[in-house]
Amino acid sequence: MAAVTPPAPPPRRPRLARALLRLFAVQGSYNYERLLGVGVGVAEEPLLRDLGDGKYRPAVARGAHFFNAHPYLIGLAVGAAARAEHEGASPDQVERLREALCGPLGSLGDRLVWAGWLPFLSGLALAGVALGAGWIAVGMFLLIYNIGHVALRWWALLAGWTHGRRVSVALHHPALQKAGALLGPAMAFAVGAALPLTAAYLSGPFDSWARVALAVVAALGFLALRLRGDRLNGLRLSLVLAAVALVVGVIWQ
Amino acid sequence: MNLPIELLIALFVWGTLVGVDLVSLPQMMIARPLVAGTVAGAILGDIPTGLKLGVVFELLQYDILPVGAVRYPEYGPATVAAVATAHASAGVLGLGLGALVGLVTGLLGGVTINLLRRVNSRIIHAAAAQLETGDPSVLVRVHVGGLLRDALRAALVTVVGLTLAWLARPLLGSALTVRGAMLLAIAAVAAALAAGAAGTLRLVGRGPNLAWFAAGLGGGIAATLWLR
Repeated sequence: MAAVTPPAPPPRRPRLARALLRLFAVQGSYNYERLLGVGVGVAEEPLLRDLGDGKYRPAVARGAHFFNAHPYLIGLAVGAAARAEHEGASPDQVERLREALCGPLGSLGDRLVWAGWLPFLSGLALAGVALGAGWIAVGMFLLIYNIGHVALRWWALLAGWTHGRRVSVALHHPALQKAGALLGPAMAFAVGAALPLTAAYLSGPFDSWARVALAVVAALGFLALRLRGDRLNGLRLSLVLAAVALVVGVIWQ
Repeated sequence: MNLPIELLIALFVWGTLVGVDLVSLPQMMIARPLVAGTVAGAILGDIPTGLKLGVVFELLQYDILPVGAVRYPEYGPATVAAVATAHASAGVLGLGLGALVGLVTGLLGGVTINLLRRVNSRIIHAAAAQLETGDPSVLVRVHVGGLLRDALRAALVTVVGLTLAWLARPLLGSALTVRGAMLLAIAAVAAALAAGAAGTLRLVGRGPNLAWFAAGLGGGIAATLWLR
């Protein structure tokens, strides 16, 4: 028979709020040994304060073990692990819960935010700037992005605390599925539309020969990145092209 | 680049905030080049230059998907330095020199992020026994130490970027003809467009989103032609 999650303990809004504030700095001590573990421990600590003597410190220590996930969704793990500690889960169960959450929270967050919400709004902002909206487009990007950002962090923490060890229920929330399904196409369309608009915007001060050269170099650069993406990235390509341009520019007086 | 001290301080503070925002606190995307560049432009009273360099580095940012412990350049403080450079030189010379300074600063920023993570690893490894006691004051001290080191790192990167901005025009500006400046600007913009397109296609993949990308691209081209 499946274990039934006991009713949630009385709301601890001030402690949840404190944990939320700490979650904004969850990557502050990012390292290659525990990755985000220490930041997760710091964020979880306010939720563990009313554990009895003998339980609090071991729970805090567990909270700071290795952890990695998308930073905006880490609240799910923080809330769920803290709730599991309150429910008397064994150390092994808490560790297994944390391990089980790393992959799904990482892939879901990457898909929703890094490959969805962020490039979608960035594409709209680029198009807005190219069409003359100026700083207003940038301000709207910052505002709308952070409404989603803060809402996601708060929802994740609350959902983790509410569901505890059954937090996988929250990961299958219909809103997340719907957002994932919508953001992919929206991002692709927005950035696709932004690219030619920004190309026209940036080439505005160029002469006609320079625009032709720009199109040729951009096309060759794109091909190089597509064909040799294992060795070449945007920064390397930019530095190589800039170095060539400098040398040619100095020689071709 | 000869700026009043108050503007230099404002750029330094902004670049540091932008550098900290990238990873540590609060990831609200002021580190995004479009935002970093626009505000740097506003500080200098030159928003159009901030927007232009912001767009260039925003496109380069599409090349980066910050998953796992992947290493990447840091374009936030780099954009601030780029805008400071471009502000001092008009037209395409500013665009090219600004992009060059920004690229070098971005490379340096990426190296320092990797170094910081290694330093943090050593410190956390050394504090492992203390962390296992579950003493919250140790945990907070180790964590806040990481935050402060990142702030210091971001400040250093910004200082180096602004120094490069100060040196760029006397060192390179006089050596470049108008044609040379144009070539540098073409190189920077072309690389940004190529990186933006390639990075987006990597995100889009070969699934159904590719059709949406093609539709967007078609719409963007049509709008560009219509607006000419």
